[in-house]
Amino acid sequence: MSVPAYLKAGPFTSNVLVKKKYILFYIFQIWISMFVIQFEFWWYWSLLYYSKFIHFVIFLPLLIFVMYISLVFVSMFIAKVLLIFVNLFHKPREGVFFRDVSDKDYRYWSLRNTIKKWPTWVSHKFPLPFLDNICFKLFGVKTKFSNSLFEGWVDTEFIEFGKNIVIGQASIIQSAVIVGNLFIIRKTIIEDNVRIGAHSVVMPGTHFHKNSILAASSLTTVGQELEEGFIYLGAPAKKYKRDVFFEDDLEKIIAKQEHDIEELRKKYEDLYTRRKDKKILIT
Amino acid sequence: MTNDTPVTNDLERDDNKVDYIIDFVTSSAISRISIKFLAIYLPILWVSGYMAVAVFFDVSRYINNWIITMLFLPFWLFILYFIFIFGIAIFSKAFLLMINMVHKPREGVFRAEKGDQDFEFWRLRIEVKKLALWLMNNSPLPWIVMWGFRWFGVKIDFSSHLQDAWMDTDFIEFGRRVTIGQGTVVMSSMVVGKYLIIKKVVFGDYTVAGGVSNIAPGTFLGDDSVTGAFTNTNFNQFIEPGWIYVGLPAMKYKPNKFAEQRRDKISIKEVEEEITYEVEHDVNIDAEKKELLNNNKEEN
Repeated sequence: MSVPAYLKAGPFTSNVLVKKKYILFYIFQIWISMFVIQFEFWWYWSLLYYSKFIHFVIFLPLLIFVMYISLVFVSMFIAKVLLIFVNLFHKPREGVFFRDVSDKDYRYWSLRNTIKKWPTWVSHKFPLPFLDNICFKLFGVKTKFSNSLFEGWVDTEFIEFGKNIVIGQASIIQSAVIVGNLFIIRKTIIEDNVRIGAHSVVMPGTHFHKNSILAASSLTTVGQELEEGFIYLGAPAKKYKRDVFFEDDLEKIIAKQEHDIEELRKKYEDLYTRRKDKKILIT
Repeated sequence: MTNDTPVTNDLERDDNKVDYIIDFVTSSAISRISIKFLAIYLPILWVSGYMAVAVFFDVSRYINNWIITMLFLPFWLFILYFIFIFGIAIFSKAFLLMINMVHKPREGVFRAEKGDQDFEFWRLRIEVKKLALWLMNNSPLPWIVMWGFRWFGVKIDFSSHLQDAWMDTDFIEFGRRVTIGQGTVVMSSMVVGKYLIIKKVVFGDYTVAGGVSNIAPGTFLGDDSVTGAFTNTNFNQFIEPGWIYVGLPAMKYKPNKFAEQRRDKISIKEVEEEITYEVEHDVNIDAEKKELLNNNKEEN
């Protein structure tokens, strides 16, 4: 129930700040969006505080609720306008870029993330997950209200979700990644009925086909394709077995099973290959 | 339906056999959230928010000195926040009792689809509990989450702790002094394909679960057992008491000698045999000043 403290879960943007002046965008958004709360409270105060004090007290909790939601919507609106403005200068695109200040794509990716940060943070600091979904949709992630994406870390661009998806606790879904001196953006597609296990990592460009399962503590590689109706397991994820759990009438079979761990270990042995480090002589 | 049903697709590999055994772990993050839940949330938020606001205005009527008001305002806000949280906990418990009267929570394998009663009520229970537990966990006093778990039906003691872990709120039993590592996910329910599995998880006394590990539904951890970091226990796995388990899946690694030693030390404390160490430390200063230091010593 309680989210791990080390992981600020939910839709989130990465904290890479290529240029320090991008923070100005962030502070500007916070400042402007706070005006709405101020105005609402002032209006409510002048309306009821002196004339009908009891009404003022009774409806105050509801007002605070409305104030918070309006804060979220206004900050989303401002961020969207800024994003449209920024995207006019440089359109976001997929590809492999250099992780360097001189690279335009890298710079603008960081700028976009900084702009999105405030609305995503505010909408996620609310105990109810509805605002996260609206936030996703506004920033161009295709998703449905039936999905549950709130226990993991999910990127906010170049991601497509289908219907009825479960994303596990503390799992990470990325569409951009930094590898050494390179910076990769690729679209991640997750189709209908996909289940992603807890603590698994999805790298950019992964394509989950329908009804596939990625087991817990496993990781996909960049551009990996997960076939329809298969269970994947391991780091990197390998084909494990057919996903038969979408068939009907399996309740009794699932309920009474016990397995031999020794045998299971042998099964896992191929998937989790152990590597021995070679001794490297440095001369 | 039996385990020997032939594969309809023409697949060549033999690892594509039909296999109904659940020997992997997925997640239990709930799969559907509807805006209908606002009908429950709004009254709870309103009433408990009203409690906090009413207390604030009622007390502030008697204090006319503005200096005292300003001085105690931060303290006041702190108290009001907790009044708010406890209000939510009480009202959501009332809702929970009503829901449980309509449908009693039970273990088993159910369909994770709209229309299945167990699935719908499981979802409803989680969403009702979520508000209070979320606020407790995000408050400046995260320890009250333990009280929250007890309040909502987990058998847990204040001697064990799991502030940095994720845990389900149904069908979990804790012994005494259980430690759960950072980022560990303890699940008593799991969504596999079309099915929702709910099974009880039991932690024995003095058990330790390492960081970033997954505890699957149905796991039984015996007394004094340890599961290492990055370990997945399997569905229905039995962790023997007094053993350390490590790996994916969790395998017997070695007996937990550390638990025995810990208790010996409490009973037999040999103070006389303590060894004293003498270590010379080199002072990290410039060479010129070192001479000065030595000179001073000679003079004394």
